[in-house]
Amino acid sequence: MSNSPLSNDERRSRFELRTLLETSRLLIESQDPDFVLNNLLLITMGKLLVPKGMILIHKPGDASYLVSKSKGRNWLAEGSELSAEFDQKLLDTSVIHGEKYAAVFDAIGIERESALFNLKTSNHHLGFLCLGPKGNKTAITGHEIEFIESLSIISSVAIANSRMFKELRHINRRLDRKVHDLNTLLELSKDFNMMVDRDEIARVFKFAMLGQMLIRTFFFALDIDGKRSIISISGIKEPPSDEDLDELFALDDIARTDDIKNCAFLAENNIELLIGLRFQNEKIGVVGVGPRATMEGYGDAEINFLQSLGNLALLTIQKTLLLEEQIVKKRLEEELNLAKTIQEGLLPSPIPKIPGMEIAAVNVSSRQVGGDYFDVLKLNDNGHLLAIADVTGKGIPASLLMANLQSMLHALAPLDVTLEEATGRINDIIYENTPPDKFITFFWGKITEDGKTFKYTNAGHNPPMVFKKGSDEPILLEDGGVILGAVPTFVPYSSAEYSIESGDLIVFFTDGVTEAMNPDQTEEYEEHRLVECVNAHRNLDADGIMKAIIRDINQFANNIQYDDITMIILKVN
Amino acid sequence: MKNFSIAKRQVDQISVLDISGELDAHTASQLENSLKALIESKNIKIIVNCAKLDYIASAGLGVFMAYIEDVRGLGGDIKLSNMNDRVYNVFDLLGFPTLYDIVDDERDAVNAF
Repeated sequence: MSNSPLSNDERRSRFELRTLLETSRLLIESQDPDFVLNNLLLITMGKLLVPKGMILIHKPGDASYLVSKSKGRNWLAEGSELSAEFDQKLLDTSVIHGEKYAAVFDAIGIERESALFNLKTSNHHLGFLCLGPKGNKTAITGHEIEFIESLSIISSVAIANSRMFKELRHINRRLDRKVHDLNTLLELSKDFNMMVDRDEIARVFKFAMLGQMLIRTFFFALDIDGKRSIISISGIKEPPSDEDLDELFALDDIARTDDIKNCAFLAENNIELLIGLRFQNEKIGVVGVGPRATMEGYGDAEINFLQSLGNLALLTIQKTLLLEEQIVKKRLEEELNLAKTIQEGLLPSPIPKIPGMEIAAVNVSSRQVGGDYFDVLKLNDNGHLLAIADVTGKGIPASLLMANLQSMLHALAPLDVTLEEATGRINDIIYENTPPDKFITFFWGKITEDGKTFKYTNAGHNPPMVFKKGSDEPILLEDGGVILGAVPTFVPYSSAEYSIESGDLIVFFTDGVTEAMNPDQTEEYEEHRLVECVNAHRNLDADGIMKAIIRDINQFANNIQYDDITMIILKVN
Repeated sequence: MKNFSIAKRQVDQISVLDISGELDAHTASQLENSLKALIESKNIKIIVNCAKLDYIASAGLGVFMAYIEDVRGLGGDIKLSNMNDRVYNVFDLLGFPTLYDIVDDERDAVNAF
């Protein structure tokens, strides 16, 4: 710096430069537009010595200006609004000063000696810096105008920056919120995955909803197999009645309660929005939410979130239902397998040998367990008892009766009672202990120790067929009485005897054999096919004949079995 | 089990819950039970001190929402204190500061009752 005295001009220009430098540094560091504007106004008022000044900020699309700052007497008050619109030419002018702009000053309502400095960025009009007439009434100089113009440009950039910064911050915040929403969904989907307790799922869903939306009133209604109920609730005075629930399920998938009249439940509890949740296109859940504490209402983003979270909870609950169903099914299957093993144990294994005769037997249930029964027992007197029976129906109910019959037969067999008498007793017990629509067709008979006589009683069972040597037509063993379990034993059962001869072949069977259906379901296998098949394979041993019959039936029915199939083949050598 | 615990203290008429660890879907019910117990025993001036709270999920925030009106209806309040920045950010994002007194220090919360 030189020692020579500075001229006034030099001093002033140094001062101005320093002011510009300091201001620009201040403004660049400041993100506060309020500070920037205040600073601009105070510096320029001080520089020009004007007692009045204000800053007008343009409100885009509103044809008006906000009085952002105002100093001095009798000008527009800070915070007030000014309706004014100027043409583009004026908005492109950086300094508005002088008589030709009288109309502009009049429009703003300030003295015509005032000056306006345009606050703008390269493509944006932000507003005006308005400076009143100088206190000493002198005109504003070109030099002063230049200085203020520079200051205005710096300030405009600072304001634009801070606006952009503010907007970015806003966008960032919205982004943060979105990320948080997604995180919540992600976290809950992981949490839900570990949950199998529906109450817990419903409770977590509720709390997540309350926390995320900042709400107090909430309900979650679910339709499980047609039964609608509330599974989670908060801040509701009185839970909805069944009629209310039906009404809620009938609403649109997104329903705002402003559009719904006449629903007392919604009005009383101040429910604002209802979301229907669908599973496989069927509405099985409804979520209702009250007002948000932030008073923000529900926009698309919120509705989206509610739907996503609701669907997540719904799917998790569906999963628990399926899981339970599977567990029940699995347990039932295990029990059935156990029952099958038990039932297999009720049939003779191995089948006792009868001297001079071959025996083959088979029992195939159409389900795991069945209602067919056969037995071969050696008796105390060295004779043999043969039995075959068919309980009406299939599966578990039939198998229970079959087991019952087996135990009665085994209890009675060693006792000194006749077949007829024993059949009568069994009939009475079955009659008393079973529903009226449950019957058993039953055939049993005793082969004497010498193997010469077969005494039997047939209680309504398909008559066993006796094929004599040299005859194609079987003799039918029909004597006995009515099926077991239909009526009490008023008329005693009868029995008949038949003399066994060498070469005889006896075929015992249940109706699963003769009523096997062809694939078209139009025709049954029937007795005549059985007779033909037996005659065609008479020369085989008992096992061979049995297998031939089974093959024939399977061929006829195309391997589809509808009923339990049981057979005993007895061949006398 | 997740790392979360609640300890209860009494500062004059005010019940302080010190919660620590992670407050999420699995642990929310613990906080719920504590708040319920306080309300049932008419301890309705409650401060939840979050100094050792590492994490909070929406389900945890929901517990506060579910009970604030009950407590205020009885003339009390739930105030929150000593949150770390990360936890506060979650409260702030969801708009909690408009509803709850959230203060830096527990003493400020005590004095505010």
